[in-house]
Amino acid sequence: MKIIRNLFSLIAARTVVWGVLLAGFAMIGTAAEDGTQDPLRIALTGRYPPFSFYNTQGELDGFDVAVSRAVAERLNRPLDIVTTEWDGILAGLLAGRYDAIIGSMAVTPQREEVVHFSEPYYLSGAQLFIHRDRRGEIPGIDRIEGLRIGVVVGETYEQYLREHHAEHVRVVTYDDTQLIFQDLIHGRLDGFLSDRLVGAWQIRAAGAPFLPAGDMLYEERIAIPVALENTALLASINMALADMRASGALDRLFDRWFGLPDGHDDPNASAASPESMTFALALRFLLKGFALTLLVAAASLTLGFLASIPVGIVLNLSGGPVRALTRGVVDFIRGTPVLIQLFFVYYGWGMIPVIGMSLSPLAASILTLSVNSAAYMAEVVRSGLMSVDPGQRLAGRAIGLSPVQVFRLIVWPQAFRIAMPSLMNSVVALIKDTALISVVTVSELISNVRSVVSVTYNPIYYLLAAVLFFMVTFPLMKLAGQLEARMRAKGFDHD
Amino acid sequence: MIEAQNITFRYPGAETAALSEVSVEFPRDAISAIVGESGSGKTTLMMCLGRFIRPAQGQALYDRTDVFDIPEHAFRQRLGMVFQKLYLFPHLTVLENMTLAMRHAFGRDRRETDQEAEAMLERLGIAEILDRYPSQISGGQAQRAAIARGLLLRPDYMLLDEPTSALDARTTDAFAEWLRSLKDQTNFIVVTHDILFARRAADRGVCLMNGQIASEGPIEEALSRLHLNEK
Ligand SMILES: Nc1ncnc2c1ncn2[C@@H]1O[C@H](COP(=O)(O)OP(=O)(O)OP(=O)(O)O)[C@@H](O)[C@H]1O
Ligand SMILES: [Mg+2]
Repeated sequence: MKIIRNLFSLIAARTVVWGVLLAGFAMIGTAAEDGTQDPLRIALTGRYPPFSFYNTQGELDGFDVAVSRAVAERLNRPLDIVTTEWDGILAGLLAGRYDAIIGSMAVTPQREEVVHFSEPYYLSGAQLFIHRDRRGEIPGIDRIEGLRIGVVVGETYEQYLREHHAEHVRVVTYDDTQLIFQDLIHGRLDGFLSDRLVGAWQIRAAGAPFLPAGDMLYEERIAIPVALENTALLASINMALADMRASGALDRLFDRWFGLPDGHDDPNASAASPESMTFALALRFLLKGFALTLLVAAASLTLGFLASIPVGIVLNLSGGPVRALTRGVVDFIRGTPVLIQLFFVYYGWGMIPVIGMSLSPLAASILTLSVNSAAYMAEVVRSGLMSVDPGQRLAGRAIGLSPVQVFRLIVWPQAFRIAMPSLMNSVVALIKDTALISVVTVSELISNVRSVVSVTYNPIYYLLAAVLFFMVTFPLMKLAGQLEARMRAKGFDHD
Repeated sequence: MIEAQNITFRYPGAETAALSEVSVEFPRDAISAIVGESGSGKTTLMMCLGRFIRPAQGQALYDRTDVFDIPEHAFRQRLGMVFQKLYLFPHLTVLENMTLAMRHAFGRDRRETDQEAEAMLERLGIAEILDRYPSQISGGQAQRAAIARGLLLRPDYMLLDEPTSALDARTTDAFAEWLRSLKDQTNFIVVTHDILFARRAADRGVCLMNGQIASEGPIEEALSRLHLNEK
């Protein structure tokens, strides 16, 4: 801890230079007070304790969250925190979904090509951690062949390992630290590379049997990125940081979260330790997420089903350009991963000329899932329509019904009944597909359960989430089976 | 009167014509039979008369007007058709099958049509199947229900394709009697390859052979000129 603390004060020393900027900052501050203030939208993952995580009250907490608050306060703007996946966090910034990231992001040359970084708000570095039981065995990263080293996708450590230790290290990537911990405990990893501070803190918080091995691999400057064109915001953030440094506010925050250098921990810090999230609270958090999951599923299914009927009819035409085009689109949607479609809609929608407006995470999710379920259900509708005996139409016409009436009163009701069991299966599939939308920051069940596990280290919550899903999908699957049986009894399945 | 005038028709891709230069009349007040071997063109002729197939040459006439010159809605009310496979609507009860067209195509009131349908089924001796689904009734009952569905629209003519295909010999006889008992309701034209049935049910006959008229006239006369395999 001592080294880190020293590194930290090193940057604090630079504040002298920035003192000059303070006057300017004050000016911007007063100018801003007059107008109505747009919220300062800050992104972080919410799954990176102690920098950002959900505390025992189910609220966002952590060092980065505290820094965000302090910065927003100094910019005199209301704070709007957006939680998002780490591997899409920069893309979201570029797409203008938020103004800045205060998510413990290290400055790298590659990142500097696409964003502007503020001055660092703390320093840390890459550290290898291993299981305590293998202390003597693994002295450091470069001294043993074939180590399986876990890293979080998109973090600097992954690229670092691939560049510097590719020959003797096997890099295993994970979506979050939480999963790395579990695998290290279960012996599926030999170690993980992480931020020295985070690693130490997490190990302490989890009571995990891990230790640092060897020296820090390199030092990292942790700073706040903003979009390249957003120079005004960058300047004010830098001034805010300078002010926090000068007033000692940043030091106090750092102490609160990382303890005092001589080791006796600040009582507040342990109170904020996330281990103690109660079951009741976790459950409430999960149910809240599940309500959102069901809302997204219901909206997507309704829209998807309505769209699937005309699409299914078009697919049943005997030919023509409209059919060919529809066929192509439906095949493309069915033949590509929903995840990619979701990313495209979420990040790419705003870049489509004419539209030029990006979608909220919820809207992007519902749009993607609707289109996706429409494609699958259209296929079911098509085959349902096809399995209605053409003689039924003939008989309908023969008793004087118009073509539209024949469809509405005779063909569709039969096609729908025939399609019903398969439609139910599409419904179940779509409900499960909602799991994907956690990647675009919708805090539905999957996203929430990962947050819960990231602070409780209790994988039983995964099972609980699965049970919640099952409570909805099981009756639907049952219903599909019953409908199928009933239809066979009614003589619906032809030939 | 309904008639075929010099009708020639060939299915797309077929080598020979299904019908060639067929001319025949179906006068009112008689049950007519169209007989012939399998593949002789009986169903095709019925589809031409029923305005479902437009012949390449010649025409089907209803009271001397080309059937395609009569608005479809009006035409359907005058000429009823029951296909070989009946095509009762499996998602509706027998009663709903009966009243569907009256209510939706002809805008009739539900209570009124229900009563009419019940009376019709009563008269046809199948009142007990009213609330059943088509999968829950016998082939003979389905046959009668399909005919009843057409009769309720009070058509001038009614075309039946192979109405006895689902019946055994005994019930075929009973069915012939039943059909004759309905002569006051409409003018039946039955398509059949069952000579015995044609003889019992029909007053007049037309024999088709390879898509051409082989004989025509009062039923006994029409049949005697033909050497069909009696089944
Ligand atoms: N949709 C079709 N496409 C091509 N050829 C057809 C089609 N329907 C019937 N045909 C042919 O036209 C001819 C007349 O057929 P049609 O169905 O009118 O005979 P049918 O007398 O009703 O026979 P059946 O007693 O077997 O019902 C046959 O040679 C048949 O193979
Ligand atoms: Mg036939």
